[in-house]
Amino acid sequence: MNAALPTPADLQAAFLARGYVADDALATALRLVVALGKPLLLEGPAGVGKTEAAKTLAATLGTRLIRLQCYEGLDAQSALYEWNYARQLLHLRAAELGGQGGVTDEDLYSERFLMARPLLQAIREEQAPVLLIDEVDRADDAFEAFLLELLAEWQITVPELGTIEARTRPHVILTSNRSRELSDALRRRCLYHWTEYPSRAQELAIVHARLPGVNETLAQQVTNAVHALRALPLGKPPGVAETLDWAAALVSLHADHLDAPGIRATLGAVLKLREDQLLAAPTLQGLAAQAAAGHQSGA
Amino acid sequence: MSGLGVIPPDLASQVSAFTARLRDRHGFLIGPGETADALRALGAVDVLERREVRGALRAVLSASPEQLRLFDLEFNAFFRVEGAAQPKLPPLLPETKAPGGEEQTDAGPPPPPQPGQRPAPKPTRAPAPDDTPDPDEDAPDSQAPGQPLDGDDTAPPDDAAVPSLRARLSPNAAPGQAVQAGGDDLPDLLRAASALVRSLHLGRARRLKPQANRGPKLDARRTLRAAARTAGDATLLRWLGRPRRAPRFLLVIDGSRSMGTDATLLLRFAQALHLRSRRVEVYAFSTGLTRLTPALRRAAPGAPLSLLDLGEAWGGGTRIGENLLRLAREERARVNRDTLVLILSDGLDTGEPALVSRALRDLRAQAGQVVWLSPLAALPGYQPVQRAIMAALPFLDALLPVGGAADLHALPRRLKTARR
Repeated sequence: MNAALPTPADLQAAFLARGYVADDALATALRLVVALGKPLLLEGPAGVGKTEAAKTLAATLGTRLIRLQCYEGLDAQSALYEWNYARQLLHLRAAELGGQGGVTDEDLYSERFLMARPLLQAIREEQAPVLLIDEVDRADDAFEAFLLELLAEWQITVPELGTIEARTRPHVILTSNRSRELSDALRRRCLYHWTEYPSRAQELAIVHARLPGVNETLAQQVTNAVHALRALPLGKPPGVAETLDWAAALVSLHADHLDAPGIRATLGAVLKLREDQLLAAPTLQGLAAQAAAGHQSGA
Repeated sequence: MSGLGVIPPDLASQVSAFTARLRDRHGFLIGPGETADALRALGAVDVLERREVRGALRAVLSASPEQLRLFDLEFNAFFRVEGAAQPKLPPLLPETKAPGGEEQTDAGPPPPPQPGQRPAPKPTRAPAPDDTPDPDEDAPDSQAPGQPLDGDDTAPPDDAAVPSLRARLSPNAAPGQAVQAGGDDLPDLLRAASALVRSLHLGRARRLKPQANRGPKLDARRTLRAAARTAGDATLLRWLGRPRRAPRFLLVIDGSRSMGTDATLLLRFAQALHLRSRRVEVYAFSTGLTRLTPALRRAAPGAPLSLLDLGEAWGGGTRIGENLLRLAREERARVNRDTLVLILSDGLDTGEPALVSRALRDLRAQAGQVVWLSPLAALPGYQPVQRAIMAALPFLDALLPVGGAADLHALPRRLKTARR
C-alpha cells in the first residue's frame, strides 16, 4: 500500500476528530476515491450526512471544497464558465471614450473577463480539491451526459481560449437522493456507496461527537425517540441532521431529559410535516412518559 | 496507479471469477475495466482485512442498493473461509462445498423457476461451527470459486436465498406463479402509449434553452455572437425560452385475483409505455408490493412479456391502502410535478380505506396528476361505491374506465378533458 495515502482506519479517525462518524465501508470507499482517482456516488435518504462526508473529506485532506449544487435547468454553461458580458461592454465603451481604439478579440476574451464556475475552478486548482456535485439527480439528463464527458477527460474547451486541462484531478463526490434514476453510464464511472440511517449506537456516537456538551440521558432519549419515529410510516422521516437539531434545540432550552413540554416546544426541529407531527403524537407521548418515569426513578 | 500494492496472481484470478459470477448470474454491468478497477482497489486496501476487501470490491462493483444486497450474498458465498480463524492468511480462500453439494461438480447458476416446476428444496446445510454471527453472512454457497459458471440444469438449492430470484410468499398470496402477459397487441398498445406520452403537457420547465424566435430572457451569449455580423450592434436579439416538461409516469397495477385478464392487459400497456419513455416506473401489488421496472427493462421488446414469480404482488388478495402508502413513501423522492400517477385497480379492497386516503393525499400533493383507471368503471351503470374508490375520489384528478385497448387509446383525450 502507498504510505502517503490515508488508510481507511486513518480516515475514520480523522473523520471522528471532526465530528463525523464514518463506518468501515464509507471509509474504504473514500480511501479509493483518493487512491484510484475515481468519483464516488453517494446515495441514501435525505439527512444521513452525504454532503457532510464531502466537507469532512476536504477538511481531512487539507484541501478546498468546491461545491456544485445541481437543480433542474442547470446547464453546462452555469457549471463551467461564463463571460462577463457587462464588463466586456464597459471595457469597449471605456476604450471608445478614452480614444484608445484597437480593442482586439484577445483583449475581450481574456482571463480577466472569464468567470469560472465550480467545474472550471475545480480543474484549475493547484492542489486537488474535493469537488462535491450535490444532488446530481436533480439535474437534467443532458447535464448528466455532459458530466460523463468531463469526468472521463478532465479537460474543458472554452471556444475563445482553447482547451484547459486539469492541473490535478479533483476528488469527486456526487450525491443523490434517488429522486431520478441515474444512467448506468454514470454509475459505471463511479464508485458507489449507499449511506443508510445509522444504527442506534452510531447515532448516539454522532450526537456526542457533534454536541460534546450534551447530557448522556438526553442524548440517549433523543436517539431512541428518533429511531422510534423512523419506524413510523412518516412522510418525511427524520435524518441525522434532524437528530442533531433536536438535541441542540433541547440543550438550548436547558433540558436534561425528554418531557412532554420540551417535545412540544421543539417538535418542529425533528418533524417537518404537520401530518407527521399528528401521526407521531401518540408515540412521542409514550416516549415522554417513559422518559419522565425513568428520570423520576433516577432522581 | 503507481504506489498501490501488488495483487497476487491467484487473488487476481479469483477476483476475475467473482466479477464474472456477478455479471453472469445477476446482470451486473461489469466489464474488463471494472475488473481492473477492482484489482486496483484491492491494491489500495489491506488485503488481509476482510472488511476492507469487501468494502473495496463493494464500492467498485455495485452500483445500486439492489445490487448491494446481491453483492453481499455473492461475496459471502464466494469468499467465505472455512476454519476457526478469520482470514489471517490469504483471506480470499475458496470455500469448500456445502454438504450435499458433492454431486454438483460443475454446478452453475440455477435455471429460472419455471411454471409448474417443483420448488427447489430448502437448504439443509448445518451451520458450520466457524460461522460468524454476522447476519448477512449466512448465504449458502452453491459453487466453489473458480469453477465454470455455466453449468448443468439442476437447480442447486442454495440460490433460494438470492432475493432477485425468489420472493417470499404470504399466506394470502397466490403460489408465486410466473405471469405470462404475452399478446399480439403490442403494436396497438405502443400507439396508445405514444399518444399518451405526446399528449401529456404538465407545464414548462424551469430550465432555459435557446429558442428560435422568442422567450422570456435575452440570450446574451448568442446575441453578442450574432452582433459580430453587424459590427457590434446587437440588432438581432436571441432569446432563451422554457421547454415543455417531459412527463414521468408511475404505474401501479393491481394484480389481485379480481382483476383477471385486465391486469395482464395493463401490464402489456406498461411495457409499451416503458418502451416509449425512459421515465416510467411500474409497480404491481396484490397483498404485497413489487417494483416491476427492472423486469420490464430486461424484457425483450418484441417477445411476449413473461415475468417470473411475482409472489405477493400477483394473484392474491388486495390490500390497496397499505401498498399505496408504502409506494407513496418509497417513491416520495421520485414523484414530482412532472409525474402522472396511474393507479390501475378495480378498488375491491379488504384493507382500511383511511390508508387509501392517506396514500392518495400524499401522492396528490407531490404528483402532477393522479388518475385511477378501473375496469369496473367500463361497465354500464357503474357507481363508484367501493370503499377504496370512495376514499380515493377526493384526491383524484380523474376516475376513468379501462375495459380494453380502446379505453387506453382514449386515455389522452379523457385526461385532457379531466384537466379542464
